[in-house]
Amino acid sequence: MDVTFLAGMFQSLLKGLPLTLNLWLLSLAGGGCLALLLNLMRQSRVGNAVAGAYVFVFRGTPLLIQIFMIYYGLAGFGVIRHSILWPFLREPYWCGLLALVLNDAAYTSEILRGGLRAVPRGTVEAGRVSGMGRIAILRRITLPLAIRQALPAYSNEIISMLKATALVSTITLMDITGIARAAISETWRAVEILLCAAVIYLALSIIVTRLCGWLERRLSPWHFGRTTP
Amino acid sequence: MTTQTPALAVTGLRKSFGANEVLRGIDLSARDGDVISMIGASGSGKSTLLRCIPMLEIPDAGTVGVGADSLSPKGGRLTRGEEAIARRMRGHLGFVFQNFNLWPHRTVLENVIEAPLFVQGRPRSEARDEAMALLEKVGLAEKRDAWPAHLSGGQQQRVAIARALAQHPRAILFDEPTSALDPELVGEVLKVIRGLAEEGRTMLIVTHEMGFAREVSSRVVFLHQGRIEEDGTPAEVFGAPRSERARAFLSSHFDRNR
Amino acid sequence: MGEIGLLGFGPDGWGLVLAKAGLMTLAVSVAAFLCGLVLGTLVAWARIGGNAVLRALAEAYTVTLRGVPDILVIYLFYFGGRQVVAAVGTALGFAGPFDISGFAAGMLAIGLISAAGQSEVLRGAYQAVPKGTIEAGRVCGMGRFTLFRRVIAPQAMVTALPGMGNQWQSVIKESALVSVTGLVETMRQVSVAAGTTQEHFLFYAAGAGIYLVITTLSDQLFRLAERRSLRGHPGTGTGA
Repeated sequence: MDVTFLAGMFQSLLKGLPLTLNLWLLSLAGGGCLALLLNLMRQSRVGNAVAGAYVFVFRGTPLLIQIFMIYYGLAGFGVIRHSILWPFLREPYWCGLLALVLNDAAYTSEILRGGLRAVPRGTVEAGRVSGMGRIAILRRITLPLAIRQALPAYSNEIISMLKATALVSTITLMDITGIARAAISETWRAVEILLCAAVIYLALSIIVTRLCGWLERRLSPWHFGRTTP
Repeated sequence: MTTQTPALAVTGLRKSFGANEVLRGIDLSARDGDVISMIGASGSGKSTLLRCIPMLEIPDAGTVGVGADSLSPKGGRLTRGEEAIARRMRGHLGFVFQNFNLWPHRTVLENVIEAPLFVQGRPRSEARDEAMALLEKVGLAEKRDAWPAHLSGGQQQRVAIARALAQHPRAILFDEPTSALDPELVGEVLKVIRGLAEEGRTMLIVTHEMGFAREVSSRVVFLHQGRIEEDGTPAEVFGAPRSERARAFLSSHFDRNR
Repeated sequence: MGEIGLLGFGPDGWGLVLAKAGLMTLAVSVAAFLCGLVLGTLVAWARIGGNAVLRALAEAYTVTLRGVPDILVIYLFYFGGRQVVAAVGTALGFAGPFDISGFAAGMLAIGLISAAGQSEVLRGAYQAVPKGTIEAGRVCGMGRFTLFRRVIAPQAMVTALPGMGNQWQSVIKESALVSVTGLVETMRQVSVAAGTTQEHFLFYAAGAGIYLVITTLSDQLFRLAERRSLRGHPGTGTGA
């Protein structure tokens, strides 16, 4: 067990942590907003079809192809190369972030949709009958219940996005995985390097899982056997 | 088959759940043709006693005998050899649950032929014919291809009784058969059970239906805190109970229900 | 020749090659899913009925494989597999270079990842079977195997199928990652074609199309199986 090597390795890998965290959190934020938009679109018939097609494509194809499509594929179009978006779309960072956001939006919108569907109609009726208006019902009943329903599935999605960020290493970004790949081609001690990287991701995912569990228990104490909040 | 070996014989039965001693030495036997009602307050151990007979709960001490087989498990667990004997004993018993427990993924007819086909290995045509006859008997022949989920509680329970009968049991055990039913459905199930009693079936019924117990049973057993306090004919137990607690139980029950 | 012609089956067309790559995607996906099924069943068994040690191990396994990026696991099996094969090979006296096929590495890696997810699906499905129906089976004398076959499995199937369908979809998409090992499945083939012809958008779109076809067909198959497993359930309007 070459402790100096491992320690040095951890240090190098952790240099990729800021980029990993950056991509992770921004893709969740962007994806979440887009997901809300997609669900709002579903109110109209056309919007529903568009949203449905979007979700179909982004959930039915691998993230890797989505990344390559945006990074390599878009560059082939003159109209893109000459647009104001070009300074962004030729950078691997923005391409990677865009792909992650679009991908997350598809999954998150379905999770949100499921959560909204799971709100029992009786609770909404009870709100109406006590005189609440539509917005009040949305704010006080529908959304809080939908979020509580969706939380377990969404915490899975959060972890999925963490693992997804590792794929940007294939378009030259130096996140944790990117640094690991470079290190492997230098030293060829692949297994040790990969295990170090795995430990870092595992630590992050365990922290997030604990946090989400705590949040679930706080929001729905009755599910977990507590009789008082 | 008659009276050489009793249909059921329970001696010295003890069972605890953790620190709670639920059965404190039960002795009970049933001859062929006996219809025994077991009554008592909640927590008196009646359901536990019933469930010990087919080894759904394993006693800590004592002996359970069904026909020629008997088991004396120790410490609430069965060894491999004892498991095999238990399975054989179960084959001679019919059990009707409070919550019916029909198999939702099988039709009514399929529920009734399941054990004869897959446990007893009888030929399909024979099992089918007999199942149809049993369904006739409980009044549900036309529901043979229905799904349990589409039946009322009373209908499901009658199917459960037909299912128990299909095994040709030596004795049928009923665990509060009508407690989970809406009041207007109770009668149809009690009618079927009464019919079985009149046929001379051996039955052990845990019930809260006192009037029914009085009418139909050949014997009534009163349990209190894990012990049998009264064991006699309905006239004896309902008319002239000897123990104080039995008297208290019966009077409170009759005041409320009559 | 028009760009679309590049997708065709003519002499300059990549169509045949892409089709073969699509089949390779299916092959590695099926292999990985089956590995995952076998291992996932064992892990679920350990978590349900094992002793405390087994349960802890099973849980640790699940947490680990669900918390580490799939691409790292694939790299581990690919590079690590090489090191293992190399170590064994030199120990046995063979000379280098040593290699492990991308297919094997991909199948094992994705199989291991899928097993974690599948074990959760199977565990949930088992817990959803009403205990009363199991008691009813025991009480009429069913042995453990008959009980499993006639009572537990059919009912667990209803809950398990949607989850397993999701797991299968995940495996198909994860198979794209095996391209990093050089295995010529859809992702790799599409990259090669794009690089050669510089028609990036076209070929990545074609690749997306292949995956969409596979996932859509799979979805239809699983829905069919789900409908058939729902016999007798209230509200499905089947039977009687």
